[in-house]
Amino acid sequence: MTIFTCNDGYEDMMTCIYDAWSARLGHNQIRLKAEPIGNLELFCEYRHIEKDPEKTAKVIRSIQKKISWEAYQMVYRCAMSSHPNKLDAIYRFLILGFAYGSSVTHMLKETAVITVFEINRRVANEAHLSIEFMRFSNTKENILVSHIEPKSNVLTLVAPYFSDRMPSENWMIVDDARSMAIVHPSDENYYLTPLTEKETLYLNTQTDTEDSYAGLWKEFFKTIGIEARKNYKCQRTMLPLWHRKNMTEFR
Amino acid sequence: MNSGSGLSLQDKLNILADAAKYDVACTSSGVDRKGKKGSLGNASAAGICHSFASDGRCISLLKILQSNECVYDCKYCLNRSSNDRLRATFTPEEVCRLTIEFYRRNYIEGLFLSSGVCKNPTHTMELMYLSIQMLRTEYHFNGYIHVKAIPGASNELIEKTGYLADRMSVNLELPTTEGLKELAPNKTHSSILKPIEQIQSGIMDYRLAVGKKSKMERHSGNRYLTDTIFDHTPYERIEERSLLEVQHLHLPSSGTVSPFVPAGQSTQMIIGATAENDFQLLKTTQTLYQRYDLKRVFFSAYVPLNEDAKLPSLDTAPPLLREHRLYQADWLLRYYGFHAEDLLSPEKPDFNVFLDPKCDWALRHLELFPVEVNKADYAALLKVPGIGMKSAMRILQARKRSILDFEHIKKMGVVLKRAKYFITCQGKMMYHIRMEEDFLTRQLIGEDSKTNWAIDNPQTYKQLSLFDDMSLTIPPTVEDTRKSIGGQL
Repeated sequence: MTIFTCNDGYEDMMTCIYDAWSARLGHNQIRLKAEPIGNLELFCEYRHIEKDPEKTAKVIRSIQKKISWEAYQMVYRCAMSSHPNKLDAIYRFLILGFAYGSSVTHMLKETAVITVFEINRRVANEAHLSIEFMRFSNTKENILVSHIEPKSNVLTLVAPYFSDRMPSENWMIVDDARSMAIVHPSDENYYLTPLTEKETLYLNTQTDTEDSYAGLWKEFFKTIGIEARKNYKCQRTMLPLWHRKNMTEFR
Repeated sequence: MNSGSGLSLQDKLNILADAAKYDVACTSSGVDRKGKKGSLGNASAAGICHSFASDGRCISLLKILQSNECVYDCKYCLNRSSNDRLRATFTPEEVCRLTIEFYRRNYIEGLFLSSGVCKNPTHTMELMYLSIQMLRTEYHFNGYIHVKAIPGASNELIEKTGYLADRMSVNLELPTTEGLKELAPNKTHSSILKPIEQIQSGIMDYRLAVGKKSKMERHSGNRYLTDTIFDHTPYERIEERSLLEVQHLHLPSSGTVSPFVPAGQSTQMIIGATAENDFQLLKTTQTLYQRYDLKRVFFSAYVPLNEDAKLPSLDTAPPLLREHRLYQADWLLRYYGFHAEDLLSPEKPDFNVFLDPKCDWALRHLELFPVEVNKADYAALLKVPGIGMKSAMRILQARKRSILDFEHIKKMGVVLKRAKYFITCQGKMMYHIRMEEDFLTRQLIGEDSKTNWAIDNPQTYKQLSLFDDMSLTIPPTVEDTRKSIGGQL
């Protein structure tokens, strides 16, 4: 068994798929895994793959052309997940995809398809919840800053929505767990950028204690619940506790 | 009565949000609108919830009243004129600032503006119109706006408001005329229906003008169903009527038609304040969908706020399970092709406490089951308890290329807990199951009793007991009484 490993970036993963495929060792003789690897297995050869923009572009083009745009989106979202076997799942899905074409996304009987379908659904749901529960705070310079710590890497999935929602505002979304940020200057395109330690420290000092609208919102949130119907269990089902860490009304 | 002058914005927000919280329908759905440079906001047809309050209901919109002053004296309402409460009124600027600042911070999806009747309906409607007009034009707000139309306000104001709002709604309050006369002496059904009709006709004009069908879109799966409540209505033919009305169209002067209430209108009814049964409620709901082409009908379990001889006593618990059953049935009407008459009848006018409406229906129609998963059409699959729109669609897609078994459909999202009694895969049922009404009923009730009990008794804990009846009491029979006297029980 040969195991192809790579860093947990999108380009790395696409290159890894390319190299694993072109190694021609037989699909059943190989596995793919995003790093960190953890415990090593006996009788396995590990090959680390470095990212390569050309190979990445080839894989992306093939998926979009030979399978479908829908399948590509599923693969992309799947790659953003924190699922330990996501890369291998994508690989198995692509084997079927290149054989059956665009209909593969509906072949839910196949284990390879249902696995990717399921991971994709989870990531899409998490991205949607992030859109719902994200909270911005207004800094003194009138910039909106939001901190999130999602399980999946949802930054690129939520950015288009907010860029449509607030095109003429200065805002940024900071992923504290991955030290990445989406920055959107007013009336311009947004971009994804890694954060340095200094920048992270600076951002953490910017708290919204003086924002009067945050106080108004907290009061509104308390007032709007009906006492006679109170149901914290239902509230926790709809809005799980781990989402609440960065939400204004729960702080 | 306190007039409440000199209140801070915080005080006003507390008073007017507290007064608005009993309104249901805090949805931001029904319209897709892209954002544009220079303005703030967009809208998404699926709707976006931003938070969940302590009662588990979603907070999607900033739900406030323009004013809680009211000249009416509806018995059930917190803001009735005979209640001694602190009264406040928002200025249009305050409404705009709150909406914009909350929206920027991603707290809300838009504004839900309702109001008590301040002075008279037209004056109130004008205040509300000024607020949203300022919000749309001066503050360039492009997000979702839901406005209540006040019955009795001038037609012109309602029309002008409709061109700025995404959704409008008029509260039906109570499903029957008698109930309304009893509890809301200042309102009549004809005065409530007038603005509903006006908005409906405005929506049809707009839809025809932009080349859509006059009727609102429904769920895309409905096109595979033959006999839904929207297909043929026993009332007037809307298509014909709309053709006649084309001559009243507000033809655009500048080339683009401004949308009129693009997300449709909705209404709400109070459940449990008067003596209507579920069949009457569901029939009314169906009629509202068919005659007025409403997008949604909402139900609100009656929460006792005022003491009155004509109302249930103050310690009445809100009928939450009943509300839940009605919403389940509402979904069956809109998405599953059921009619009110399929689910209930004058002989059986109330929903089963123990079973959801679809299970209950299926148990009374065992001749239609079991359904073969690999062959049945969309409509037949939808009728199976435990299979919804999504899983039915997935089954249709997946079986094109392969034969499905229980393990596969389980992974696709079918709730086998309920569905296993009603389906076969390749001619076989999952277990050896007797297709017998009593047996299946016992099985299904056993599986759902805990959930049902929890809906009606949120946030309560109880001691487990060997003789647990889940508080669903069955009155003792004559025999029981005899036995207990004889000391046998």
